Amino acid sequence: MAEQFRFYTEAGLVIHTNFKAESLKSLLIGLKKVSGSSIFYHMHHALLRRHFATSDQMNDFARWVMVQLGQTSLAERLASIDPMACHSVREAREQLISYVQDYVGAGELFFRVAEGNEFHFLELHSMVLPLKSHADDLESFYHGLKKTSSGTLFYHMIEAPIRLGKPSNDFSEWLKNSLNEDQLAEEISRLNPYMYNLYELKAEILQRVRNRLKELWKS
Amino acid sequence: MKDLDKYTSIVGKAEIDEIKSLAGYLKGKRVHHINSTKEGGGVAEILQRLVPLMKSLGIKASWDAIHGDSVFYDVTKMIHNALHGQEFEFKPEYTEILEKTNEKNKDLLNEPADVTIIHDPQPLPLVLFRDGQERPCWLWRCHIDVSEADYHFWGALRRYVERFDGSIFHMAEYTKGLSIPQYIIPPAIDPLSDKNRELSSNEVRDIIQKLGVDPQKQYVLQVSRFDRLKDPVGVIQAFRMIQKWHDAQLVLAGGGASDDPEGVKVLQEVREAADGDPNIHILDLPPTSNLEINALQRGASVIVQKSLREGFGLVVTEAMWKGKPVVGGATGGIRTQIIQNTTGFLVSTIEGTAYRIRQLLSNPGLADRLGHSAKEYVRSNFLLPSYLKNWLLLLICQAHKGEKITFLE
Repeated sequence: MAEQFRFYTEAGLVIHTNFKAESLKSLLIGLKKVSGSSIFYHMHHALLRRHFATSDQMNDFARWVMVQLGQTSLAERLASIDPMACHSVREAREQLISYVQDYVGAGELFFRVAEGNEFHFLELHSMVLPLKSHADDLESFYHGLKKTSSGTLFYHMIEAPIRLGKPSNDFSEWLKNSLNEDQLAEEISRLNPYMYNLYELKAEILQRVRNRLKELWKS
Repeated sequence: MKDLDKYTSIVGKAEIDEIKSLAGYLKGKRVHHINSTKEGGGVAEILQRLVPLMKSLGIKASWDAIHGDSVFYDVTKMIHNALHGQEFEFKPEYTEILEKTNEKNKDLLNEPADVTIIHDPQPLPLVLFRDGQERPCWLWRCHIDVSEADYHFWGALRRYVERFDGSIFHMAEYTKGLSIPQYIIPPAIDPLSDKNRELSSNEVRDIIQKLGVDPQKQYVLQVSRFDRLKDPVGVIQAFRMIQKWHDAQLVLAGGGASDDPEGVKVLQEVREAADGDPNIHILDLPPTSNLEINALQRGASVIVQKSLREGFGLVVTEAMWKGKPVVGGATGGIRTQIIQNTTGFLVSTIEGTAYRIRQLLSNPGLADRLGHSAKEYVRSNFLLPSYLKNWLLLLICQAHKGEKITFLE
């Protein structure tokens, strides 16, 4: 019998790190010294906070550099960092540092923002909560997933692979290891949460599971 | 009693179930809120909703208000204004008055509580009496913007604040570099209140008609006190710039002018700027006009909040919740709520405001897209259930301090 899939959800409490940046130089210092939890909050958790839409600057760093500093080319590069292509928070941090460092190193004149417009480094205390719903097979997985919130999707698709160091997202891992649904697992792991809003992402996953169910029913 | 289940159709069953699950970890916990008044003001209003919701989830929540004489309230009003950045001369006797009144109220601490939550500065010195009480955890909820607080007043209060186990601010911008944890919990609106509940199109039409606004003609709205920091004259100037392209109305709906001498002056300036234009409606509404504001927001084509300085800006949250595109001044919490070209437009000038209003009036598809995203953003982040959820997370977090990820079982 297949191992049961337990649905979890994630909710986070936001805490100030007591560090804020008023220029690109202090942003760089912050990027180097704040906790991984802070990078995760500004880079990945932004997907959950603004999960209903995709916008030009999905991560908080790109948004601040664009809105407050007006440094469009740097903002564009920071926005282009795909947090899902980074295998860990550390990798995302390194990528951010390298872009800001290159830009600052180019030696142009950079100004400080006015008081009140600083970048506040925040961090997240994540609480992972087991839900009552679980799945024993593909059909119950489909129905369980259908009822979940964006927090559940965020936890299994983003938090688990990036922050908890799992090889892939939880859905793909379970489909592959417990149901031998290798192809479906692969299709879901290829979906990049950064390219959709979370509603769309859920719809994409559900559609793939539904298609596979139809195939199984036919056979 | 407000029951959490009433919000299911608004935020979804999954969200409500998650909140109930979180509350399960706090069942029987004694949570004692203390502020300075049970009636009037935003803090009392939010506690009137929050405390019954916590109780309905099995938390032993209670709420008391401290009592003081007129001298105490005069001093606390001055402290409140000084924390908002107004200049006053600080005198050491102010803290003496604060402490003496709080000492008289220390019997409020007789019953044990797992968590004591002090709201705003007035009851802060109660923390001086925490030793020897069966009250292991003290949190301070700051509801006001203290980012430009007077140095002397804030310095005097800081010595109380840092005796707490944690502090809670609306926005990162309000934090004060404290030695205790500073949590960020944004404020929220209640989607079931008169100001925000659904209204039928007939109700909307009838109410705005009664207010003298033509329901057949599209209108731009700003809801705010008649205060220079809300720049109502700037809004009129922006409206003038779009009038040659759009046959529209402008509604400036506000209140509080009658008991505020400065407000009376600003209202006069606004009337002069409107110069009798029949398409500009200036409505000085009483503070109880919740349904009227709701209807005005629902009937508007574009909502403007052209503030030059703003706190969190819950009026923007209310407008966004009604699925309206908002053109907001790039200040305070408006910047948290408006994601440029996603949930609205941020502006810094009169010309920029005019341009965005014109763009939204000309392009209803754009207005719908922004309005839809704005509503979803509020649904996920700034409604009462999210606010309650944040409080539950905060209370659970007190037993897991220092952790970055907590697995609850």
